[in-house]
Amino acid sequence: MTAITGSTVLRRRADVRYRRIEGEAVVLRQSAAEVLVLNGVGAAVLDLADGLRPVGEWIDALALKYGADRETVARDVLEFAGEAEEAGLLEALPAIPATSGEKDEDGG
Amino acid sequence: MSFGDEFLRHPDLFPGRRSGEPWGSGSLALDVPGGPYLVAGLAATQIEALETRFGRLCRGVTETTATGRSGIATAVFRAPAADFVDLDTRGWEYTLALDHAERSVRVAGLRLMARLDWAPGLAGGLWTPEAAGEEWASVLENYLRLLAAYRLLAEGGVLLHSAGVTDGTSAWLLLGPAGAGKTTASRLCLEAGAEVLSDDLNAVIVQEGGRAVVARLPFTGDLGERQGGSPGDPGEYPLRGLLRLRQGPGASLVPLSRASALAALIAAAPYANRDPFRHEALLAVCERLALAAPAWELTFSLGSDLWSILRAVQE
Repeated sequence: MTAITGSTVLRRRADVRYRRIEGEAVVLRQSAAEVLVLNGVGAAVLDLADGLRPVGEWIDALALKYGADRETVARDVLEFAGEAEEAGLLEALPAIPATSGEKDEDGG
Repeated sequence: MSFGDEFLRHPDLFPGRRSGEPWGSGSLALDVPGGPYLVAGLAATQIEALETRFGRLCRGVTETTATGRSGIATAVFRAPAADFVDLDTRGWEYTLALDHAERSVRVAGLRLMARLDWAPGLAGGLWTPEAAGEEWASVLENYLRLLAAYRLLAEGGVLLHSAGVTDGTSAWLLLGPAGAGKTTASRLCLEAGAEVLSDDLNAVIVQEGGRAVVARLPFTGDLGERQGGSPGDPGEYPLRGLLRLRQGPGASLVPLSRASALAALIAAAPYANRDPFRHEALLAVCERLALAAPAWELTFSLGSDLWSILRAVQE
């Protein structure tokens, strides 16, 4: 299991199919033929898990959308993201190393 | 364990295409939701067994195709009995072994091998050593359950593990995993005057405009009618409600969220919910159904007046 932080980038696993319905999400994992119902936070996280934006950006977006305290949102999102990764719904992408150009700049 | 080896002695020799030696030159059409299903390559003894099991659902192929209805074709072939594993089925829960691909499904089961191919239309092949009687009728029925599941899905419907009960005008579907009480609840409704469509598998079709109907299937467990109901039976009943069953003290009816209803429907859709190539189609059909039909969680016990509770459900 990956330790999820604000800089972690997650995406939905390729075998995950889901539908949003009245604020919740119904998730079908193809490999396990398993059906899960996720609440609003879980559904929003699935939408955001595109493999591009780090978790910190999800937290910002959800805090803004719901007008909620960022710290509270962060706690909920990090907790759910960790559970979803453990359940095989999400997978972490490897951290992107600094580019060679940046190294050169850093190295002077 | 690899595909089919619990049923087949030589799973590596599984037929790669629909060909072989037919049992005979006979054929018939089964008028079952999603069909008609045209079965060819039959011996006279096999036709007799199917007519005994499915009664007036059996039609002549010419009579069926003359009405302009295209059917789903299945060719039946001989297979040596020695190709199948002898199994002691006492206390055993039978589940077909399935191997899914984008354009085909391979099937292994008790004295049967089958394959469904989409090329692009759906057609099937069935290999069995059973020449007659109940054993043959059961082989065909087990295959037909699978075929109907795929066919219904392609038609915007879904096969559901459920108990279906009707007052002759509308129908209610009772959902739940094995042991949830589908047969018990069906029996309570039957004793109170309802008709049981099936306590095992029912078909639901979502029509244009989002109206959902329950279609009678000949796939029953302990209760229900395998031969299409009484003459004049409409065969289809508007769906009044979906009930997720829970056994408990007393009786209560609690509204179920659309998402929970959708999850219950997917969990109850045999075959399709294990086929990764059909999950998108299954989600789409079940979502339409979850939006079309009201759903509740129904807690009941043996003393509950279940039938009155169901009839009080408002659309």
